[in-house]
Amino acid sequence: MVSPAIALALLPLLLTLIIRYRYFFVLLYRAVLIRWVRDCLTGLSREERAYQYILTHATPGDSQSILDTFDQWCSKVEFISNIGPKKGKILDRLLLEHCPITVLELGTHCGYSTVRIARSLPIGARIYSVEMDERNAGVAEKVIRLAGFDEDMVELIVRPSDEVIPRLREDFGVEHLDFVFMDHWKRCYLPDLQLLEGSGLLGEGSIILADNVIFPGAPNFLRHARRSGLYEVRVHRATLEYIRGIRDGMAELTFLGIK
Amino acid sequence: MPRHKLIASESDVSIDVDEGKDNEFSLYYVEVEENSEEGEEKQARRDGKRRRERNGEVGRRRTSEKRTTEVGNKRAEKKHDKRHKRARNGGEKHGKRQRRKNEDAEEAEEESSKEKKNIKNERNKTLKLDDEKKKDLKKKTKKHVKNEEDDASHGKTKQKDCHDMPLKEKKKKRNKPETTSESESKSESESQSDSDSESKDNQAVGVLGSLTPEELEKLKEAVDERKKLIITLRGKPWPMRKKLLILRESQEFVEKYEGALGKGKGRKLYAYKVMMMKKWMKFQRDFENFKTACIPWEMKIKEIESHFGSSVASYFIFLRWMYGINMILFGLTFGLVMVPEALMGKPYGSLPRKTVPRAEEAGAMNFAVLWDFGGYAKYSVLFYGYYNNQRAIGWLKFRMPLSYFLVGVGTVAYSYMVVIRTMARNANEEGGGDDTSFNFSWKTFTSWDYLIGNPETADNKFASITTSFKETIVEEQESRKDDNIHLTRFLRVLANFLVLCCLAGSGYLIYFVVRRSQKFALEGLENYGWWERNEVNMVMSLLGMFCPMLFDVISTLENYHPRIALQWQLGRIFALFLGNLYTFIIALMDAIQLKRAEEEIVKKNMTIWQANLYNGTVPDNSTALPITVHPADVPRGPCWETMVGQEFVRLIISDTMTTYITLLIGDFLRAILVRFLNNCWCWDLEFGFPSYSEFDVSGNVLGLIFNQGMIWMGAFYAPCLPALNLLRLHVSMYLQCWAVMCCNVPQERVFKASGSNNFYMAMLLVILFLSTLPAIYTIVSIPPSFDCGPFSGKNRMFDVIQETLETDFPAWFGKVFSYVSNPGLVLPFLLLLVLAIYYLQSTSKTYKRVNMELKKKLQTQNEENKKKNKLAALKAANELEQARKGGEQHSNSDLGESTLNGSQLPSVNALDRILEPVLGNFPLMLKS
Repeated sequence: MVSPAIALALLPLLLTLIIRYRYFFVLLYRAVLIRWVRDCLTGLSREERAYQYILTHATPGDSQSILDTFDQWCSKVEFISNIGPKKGKILDRLLLEHCPITVLELGTHCGYSTVRIARSLPIGARIYSVEMDERNAGVAEKVIRLAGFDEDMVELIVRPSDEVIPRLREDFGVEHLDFVFMDHWKRCYLPDLQLLEGSGLLGEGSIILADNVIFPGAPNFLRHARRSGLYEVRVHRATLEYIRGIRDGMAELTFLGIK
Repeated sequence: MPRHKLIASESDVSIDVDEGKDNEFSLYYVEVEENSEEGEEKQARRDGKRRRERNGEVGRRRTSEKRTTEVGNKRAEKKHDKRHKRARNGGEKHGKRQRRKNEDAEEAEEESSKEKKNIKNERNKTLKLDDEKKKDLKKKTKKHVKNEEDDASHGKTKQKDCHDMPLKEKKKKRNKPETTSESESKSESESQSDSDSESKDNQAVGVLGSLTPEELEKLKEAVDERKKLIITLRGKPWPMRKKLLILRESQEFVEKYEGALGKGKGRKLYAYKVMMMKKWMKFQRDFENFKTACIPWEMKIKEIESHFGSSVASYFIFLRWMYGINMILFGLTFGLVMVPEALMGKPYGSLPRKTVPRAEEAGAMNFAVLWDFGGYAKYSVLFYGYYNNQRAIGWLKFRMPLSYFLVGVGTVAYSYMVVIRTMARNANEEGGGDDTSFNFSWKTFTSWDYLIGNPETADNKFASITTSFKETIVEEQESRKDDNIHLTRFLRVLANFLVLCCLAGSGYLIYFVVRRSQKFALEGLENYGWWERNEVNMVMSLLGMFCPMLFDVISTLENYHPRIALQWQLGRIFALFLGNLYTFIIALMDAIQLKRAEEEIVKKNMTIWQANLYNGTVPDNSTALPITVHPADVPRGPCWETMVGQEFVRLIISDTMTTYITLLIGDFLRAILVRFLNNCWCWDLEFGFPSYSEFDVSGNVLGLIFNQGMIWMGAFYAPCLPALNLLRLHVSMYLQCWAVMCCNVPQERVFKASGSNNFYMAMLLVILFLSTLPAIYTIVSIPPSFDCGPFSGKNRMFDVIQETLETDFPAWFGKVFSYVSNPGLVLPFLLLLVLAIYYLQSTSKTYKRVNMELKKKLQTQNEENKKKNKLAALKAANELEQARKGGEQHSNSDLGESTLNGSQLPSVNALDRILEPVLGNFPLMLKS
């Protein structure tokens, strides 16, 4: 039998682990426990609850107000892994620098990042936003319309990304992608990147921005991007959205072209 | 390809020489030169001329040498070819040059006519020189050397005259933009000339005897130039690859031809001398290398240093240093205590103290017992109890008890000496002065760790420097705001409070466990399981392992600079370990008291037993032999000294095991998991949550220090401890080196740890002091056991000294000693010692202060100079303006009065005078 003294001696270890990984516990609590409780209580999905909050709190047609309300809801009420305000600034800066005409967004979720991209695009630019889940897509469409962007600007595609990418040229007449924003399943980053490479839609200077490459992380994606020699890789270090203590990063890949 | 052409032209050269068509040769040669860089021309032409001259003289005279020249030329071509390749690789614009070659060739044809003229001049000159030489030989004057030199200088100047001209012209003609930097062209010219001269001198090796004095002179000059180049190479603004290339070439050149130089008769001697010098230098260098190779683990440590920065390396250096000390301790105990006892002392089984008692005999050889240092291990030279109190042993009359005592004292004294000496040496290295006053300058110029050789570490270092810059800037801003200080202070106090709580808790836990273990021991350990028996060790190692982690987490609250944070961390862990160790010692003291009580009972029983023995078996009237009882059957005391030694050995063993197991599980297993699970895990294990472990400098250093403290404490009662420790250090050196390189990542905030060495030393000193305290206490205040150990039967252990004095030294010595040890003498002596220490300390303080003042003075002087310069510049500017105004006025006022003129003239002079120093100081001002 292990004596109580030895068990007590393990207390520092426990404390250390709790203190060191407190943010992860907070994340667990906010992203899993609260969501589960609310789902049971309201019968609505998380995204729909977010939409209700926005509908009641934000100014329609004002994208900034919608984004702010989203941030507020995500940091105060519940947790949705949007890109968040801090990483959003990096995204805004990149968009302003490159002024892309054709943007592909993988993973619309609730449309936060779509609104964010759409508001800083030049006139005549077009976003193709891919979302697999239909309920989420419904919410996202409502959010996008609420923010005042029409179908000319934002094209919402409700299909899995690995089906969409090879057919972009045929179905949607896309010839060239200037900017690709990835924020869907982290495991799909690498196959989708390879599909993009194969489709020939990327040209020299095309930017691929992948969110959450450090936490939850996409190691294979990063490894491929670094080793293939097709890209110039920069990892913007930041923290996870709405939670301060977890390190995360966005990978900015500049396509150098196949030589 | 131009290169082929080049080869062809050169081979043509050799043929031409054979045929004696010098002019054509020269033409070709010029072409060759044209192929190569612009800057090569001068040198190359000089070389070409040299060759021409020699060929003019030598080639005609000896037909037999044609072969050799041909061969030599071919060899030279190859070399040249290689060089050329390299040069091409080096300078990218070479290709363009090659394309331009055709134009150049045309130009070269134009120039070749000029060249021809030059060559004619040249030949005349050489003929003249030959004549002169012959004359000299005929006369055989003693001024031979001087003349030679004169000739050479003549030749040089003339040559320069004749070939500088066309060169200049050519440069004018070309009017091409200089594409390469000066240095590049220069270096290439050198390499080119090198190859040229080499090709020449390849032939020359056989022809050395027939070198003309000028050639020798030139060669010498070239060699000198090379030497100069080698010396100044370090400061040249070239890329490293080029530097290395040039260095190698120059060294080859110098090596080859230096020996060939020399004057007349002394040539051989000179060559010999040079050769010997070179050999000697090489030997010295090799010896240095050898010495470095002899330093144990030097290369390993360097490698680690390059990967992990100096803070991790400092741990390994410390470990090595510790190893050295333990080597000495081991030598002392092994050579003066264990070996003599094993060789000359009474053998095992001859005395009760040297035999396993009957009750333990059955399991004395079991592994579990031996692993616990019981059984045969307990009754061996490894522990105090085995030693006999016989005054002198063996044919050497080796004074065993005395030796035992003196070795015990000597090891501690030696350790003190070494630690203090090292501390003093380290203290000299760190100059006084505050390093905080020029924060940004320090950061800019000193934050790079030049020992880093690993790209990842370099990246980390780079990132850490950048972040530290950002942080310092923010700090600087905040310190001006000065509002957040209270929060920081509060957090720091809070952190310390938490740590104190932690320390108190761990101390209480250990105390509790030790009390419990005593209870177990009283009731008999056999009734309890493994957990209960090892509870103290387990709790101590667990606390020692996990509390530092907790401290580390707490210390993030404080937001210190990592170096300061490391020191705090060290201090805290130090307190923790010290608390643990002292609790352990207190428990041990209790155990000693218990054993002594037991000993008293045994003593009484012993007399009864002896009486019984004699009464029961031996008839009173007989004079027969006394009864022999097998030593294993003799009852004996508990021998607390051996018990203490055993405890320490067990502690060391369990500590070592914990360290290694932690290493294997915490580092190696984790690294393996992270590495191989990463491919099939849903998040990034390497970057994210478990990640690889970092090397924990503070924990490891403290582990080492406390381990050493235990050695010092226990070595008196268990002479085997230094040997065990040596083994442990040796293994951990290899194991940790491997573990660091294999499963740790460089720290995210790499920092230099050069300053922390003395901190380690100070801690070691404290530990040394604290660990000798209990040892000295037990030696001085507790009487030794009556039936075991070298001091058995004595009242106190140090009585052995008195005994030796009385019996082994003449009577007068004892008397002198007793006088000397009289308190009346000892006290003043101690007082004197204290005074001396005080005096030395105060003088050193004064020196430090003086140093500081000097530093300050220098600083203020510097600032004053700066101000002065600024003022002077301002003044000068003012005066210049005034002067200009004055001049305008002057011109306006139509060459006014003579007095004004007179006054203005000196003012202008004064202006010059003022401006001169200012202008002279201008670069200085820029610097400052």
